[in-house]
Amino acid sequence: MIEIKDTSFDYVKGQNTLDHVNINIGKGECVLLCGESGCGKTTVTKLINGLIPHFEENGELRGKVTVAGLDTAKAELYQLSCHVGSVFQNPKSQFFHTDAESEIVFGLENSGTDPAIIRQRLDDTVRELGISSMLGRSVFSMSGGEKQMLAFASVYAMGADIFVLDEPTANLDEGAIQLLARLIRKCKTDGKTVVIAEHRLYFLMELIDRAIYMEKGRVVREFTREQFSALTDSERISMGLRTLTKTALIPRIDHGQQNVPKGLEVRGLSFRYGKQKVFTGLDLNAGYGEIIGIIGKNGAGKSTLSRCLCGLIKESDGEILLDGKRLKDRARRKESFLVMQDVNHQLFSDSVTNECHMSSEDVSEERADHILSLLDLADFKDKHPMALSGGQKQRLAVATAILSGKKILVFDEPSSGLDYRRMESVSSMLKKIAADDRIIIVVSHDYELLNNICDRCFCVTGEKDQ
Amino acid sequence: MLKLDPRTCLILLVIANVVIFIQNSAVIEIVWIGLLLVLLCICGAARSAAKLAGVFAGCMILQYIIFPIAPKAIVSIFFIFISYARKAMPCLIVGTLIMKTVSVRELTAALLKWKVPYSFIISLSVSIRYFPAIKEEIGYIRDAMKLRNIKFADKFECMIVPIMMSAAATSDELSAAAVTRGIENPCEKTSIIDIKYGIADYICIAAGILFTVLAVVIR
Repeated sequence: MIEIKDTSFDYVKGQNTLDHVNINIGKGECVLLCGESGCGKTTVTKLINGLIPHFEENGELRGKVTVAGLDTAKAELYQLSCHVGSVFQNPKSQFFHTDAESEIVFGLENSGTDPAIIRQRLDDTVRELGISSMLGRSVFSMSGGEKQMLAFASVYAMGADIFVLDEPTANLDEGAIQLLARLIRKCKTDGKTVVIAEHRLYFLMELIDRAIYMEKGRVVREFTREQFSALTDSERISMGLRTLTKTALIPRIDHGQQNVPKGLEVRGLSFRYGKQKVFTGLDLNAGYGEIIGIIGKNGAGKSTLSRCLCGLIKESDGEILLDGKRLKDRARRKESFLVMQDVNHQLFSDSVTNECHMSSEDVSEERADHILSLLDLADFKDKHPMALSGGQKQRLAVATAILSGKKILVFDEPSSGLDYRRMESVSSMLKKIAADDRIIIVVSHDYELLNNICDRCFCVTGEKDQ
Repeated sequence: MLKLDPRTCLILLVIANVVIFIQNSAVIEIVWIGLLLVLLCICGAARSAAKLAGVFAGCMILQYIIFPIAPKAIVSIFFIFISYARKAMPCLIVGTLIMKTVSVRELTAALLKWKVPYSFIISLSVSIRYFPAIKEEIGYIRDAMKLRNIKFADKFECMIVPIMMSAAATSDELSAAAVTRGIENPCEKTSIIDIKYGIADYICIAAGILFTVLAVVIR
């Protein structure tokens, strides 16, 4: 079905993004592409769906790729699109319409299919994937998981025989991952071919037939499912892969102590939008130098809680104290900082140094240098923040927070979409800044990360769940 | 509830404005706007119709009752504003009609029937889709700025830079998603939305033409 023969690809000459790759995938197989970030697995997915060479025009391609009998370099993208359906990493940027139905039929309308057949396909897709609850809804009212299901449904409707998924779970929580796993299983039983590039592996262990491990643009090893699941933890970690089994949460679930003299204390915190309650009566506490985790289902109000802690929104009830003194939202904005999931929103300057001096002018040069080297950014002082890697951007945002003397740092999903080594480096960064006598609050679905960094977790249960 | 063909709405949008700009009689204006408001009511947006009627009545009262007795200074400040507000009424009414009753996919289907180039239709539909996304984005950036103590003078720049960055990334990802879904297919596109002119559509367009003629004739 898919044959990649001695293929090399460079985005920039001499970079060897892919280096003499040979991959054969038969009809009905479900194959995992894994390896550290930058190993070339996303590039392989682009070879299959034809984005290389048609969309990445500046790159250099050598070798031959045949998909469903078509030579991808010679076929047009729209011909390939009848056979290959692609689901991408970011659920936000795959939509062309604002409602589910239009989205599902988009591909079919593009290929000029008869409206009667399109309607039939729409009905079939909705029934077979069990997504009738999505019909008639605006894409903007959907969670990340629902958006990914919709993206999946819209390629499913096109009747593709090959599905290419590029890190589809990077932005999803546990429940959404299970929904996606169900869709992949459905494709498998229908005899479709599935190729999936992923960091999160545990939910795929039952689904895959084979795993292809890549390193620096080369296919290093191929595993059958049995071989792959037999990997020991130390082998897996040396390969830089995330856990293969579902991880249990080790830190204990805590309920908050009253009247702590030092550190952060939250008493009976409630929040509502108008009449709609998000959460009520939440207690938690955290000391200096401590890292605490916040867990909870999607929509339980974790983001609302982090925004409330940072003073971006006013609590409806309850109080937040620091060192025994009550802080109103304004005062909290001075003492706390939120490191967002998408840090691109919080870097504004034209160089790393200027970013550090932007919001805190009285910071001395030495202090800024000290913090930058603490966060391994000293070598990038003159770079543009947007030219940094994701992890570096995250650390730069942290640096600005520390330099403006913030005591409480809240992290929203700091490890989403990261491979093992990058997750480890986020953990060590978190430990390092906690040791600098700060209060660290980590909101996360990632139990592997939380097990690494904290002893206590607090669970947010939304009003909707109770 | 009456449902007009999206094409009728677009035609009405043009006619409504033509009538208002060429008419020279308050009677025609009032009757025309009254009819458009009734249409808005029949199409199920009575509440918006009431609001717009209130605004229009307010303008009329100001212009014909308050202005003749008000001090000159105040009149000269508000006169232009009020006259323009009156001219903008039909556009607002039909605009509301379109916003409330026509979905993006119906609009797409209508433009497709008119043989508008597909690339234009897709850009239009993607831009409509992009507005709520930008709103979300601005929310995040505003939060980030609040926590960073950005000087007032720098605020605009700080808002624009991340938006441009994310727009560039989004447009790249969107185009990749579009080409893998066969947008470049040169065949004739289809739509599952079935749009047909009905009696109501003909009546609306006929009324529009009638009023255009009346606006020219009655001076």
